Amino acid sequence: MGSSLATTFCGIELEHPVVNGSGTLDALVAGTLGASAFVTKTVTLRPRAGNPPQRIAETPAGMVNSIGLANPGLDRFCDDHLPRLADLGVPLIVSVGGWSREEYATAVARVGAQPAVAAIELNVSCPNVDTGCISIGTDAAETRALLERCRAETSVPLLAKLTPSVADLPAIGLAAAEGGADGLVLINTVRGMAIDRTTLRPLLGGGGGGLSGPAVKPVALHAVYHARAVTGLPIIGLGGIQSAQDCIEFAAAGASVVALGTALFRDPHLLRRVVEELPRLLGDRGVSTFDDIVGAAHLGLPHPILEVDG
Amino acid sequence: MPPASRVLAVDRVEAVGGYTLLVLRRSGADAGVPGQFFMLQARPQPAGAYLPRPLSAAWADEREIAFLLDVRGPGTAALAGCREVTVTGPLGRGFPAITGPAILVGGGIGAAILPWLVRTLAPPVTTLLGFRGEAQAVCAALVDPSATVVLEPTLVTEPLARLLPAEATVIACGPDPMLRAVAALCAEHGTPCLLAMEAAMACGFGACYGCAVELDGEWKRLCIEGPVVEGSRILAGRGSG
Repeated sequence: MGSSLATTFCGIELEHPVVNGSGTLDALVAGTLGASAFVTKTVTLRPRAGNPPQRIAETPAGMVNSIGLANPGLDRFCDDHLPRLADLGVPLIVSVGGWSREEYATAVARVGAQPAVAAIELNVSCPNVDTGCISIGTDAAETRALLERCRAETSVPLLAKLTPSVADLPAIGLAAAEGGADGLVLINTVRGMAIDRTTLRPLLGGGGGGLSGPAVKPVALHAVYHARAVTGLPIIGLGGIQSAQDCIEFAAAGASVVALGTALFRDPHLLRRVVEELPRLLGDRGVSTFDDIVGAAHLGLPHPILEVDG
Repeated sequence: MPPASRVLAVDRVEAVGGYTLLVLRRSGADAGVPGQFFMLQARPQPAGAYLPRPLSAAWADEREIAFLLDVRGPGTAALAGCREVTVTGPLGRGFPAITGPAILVGGGIGAAILPWLVRTLAPPVTTLLGFRGEAQAVCAALVDPSATVVLEPTLVTEPLARLLPAEATVIACGPDPMLRAVAALCAEHGTPCLLAMEAAMACGFGACYGCAVELDGEWKRLCIEGPVVEGSRILAGRGSG
């Protein structure tokens, strides 16, 4: 691993800047796939079975999912999963979700007290549950209040994972920052749905769902770019990334760390290949570290970094 | 640990009545056991088919690994027309070692996984296959030349019901309503029953949680629990699915 990729995110030392998106990898089944930190599937206070099938629908450039936060619940996660995840040998970022400020606070206090946990992601953006979660992340005042409440429970870095399905995402990001967020995770899936071509009924068991894959990359880049400009917070950028070049573009928009999600479903070996390819792309641009690219799109044009390609 | 991925060359593609047989050169790839599955994607990636397709092998030998396709959309059409395929797997739980007589029940493209299983079973094996039409029924010869074949509107559970009770293991693959009917018949007669199930899947290795099926009364990931499961597991807690 070239040292050009080593980075620090919210105080967490990472071997390289590529991780997985929440809910896109079960590391207890498949390992980390080369991710420098493991982001867990969102855990809630009580176990959740998830939404009825059909849960996924393919789209021309990605997929719509309606999983519905299926998870073992906080107790089993902390008692059974977390000790095994701690053996993975990479920092753990635990994603938590809930239906009220107090539910999040309870989960944050419990998870934050576990020595193995490097950071906590507050999922306020899941499109697949009727209430809670995304209804917080679509409201700036609710988001600020949630962060303030959770901030009081832990000193572990708190990351707010936001939905792009809002009118003014940077304003939500700013509210999270004001409430005490240490970083942002952008973006969760984009609200969407699929219609069964035969029955003309909603295809997904949950009715609607969340769109991911290459289709959402421009949406994600826009979110990262503007949230970075407004908040200045460190950002984990994700949404349709499927190459090292995509990682470079997200970094330029303002992501300090990037995550692969849907692309891992179709190629579990992609993350390692991306990490292997990144140093060459950096070298081609005449920069020595990934960190040097972060925020490049915010600098005035022309910029030395951008002139390398002629 | 991460599943293996290999790019395998297409050896040949043959029409089998209404279905298509895709034969890949195995090139030393792990073929797993009958009933396990692979995620297959044509190379280069076809337009309009972002995700790989979960398929169990029709058979595998030293030289080749074959898949029987029901070409219905851009993903399967691309597989039927490409020269290389990315194959990830083997994945999931296949058939356990089966001793004693077996009754195989296939519905439609569910028959696709049976040829390999038939080759591994000691006689006596009784094969019952149901199809929607003559074109689909052509594939019966690949499974078992002595199979009993019925066409819609006759259901394959009708000849099965006449064989039960039996001192045999019933093994079924086909559409969900057929599997439920087979599991219920076997439960009624106390006959051991194994089902090879199917679900829409994005990853095949436990990451996406997309392939939920109702097992033991709960939504569970088919790629982890199956695709081969005991029939009693889909009968538990029925009603929410």
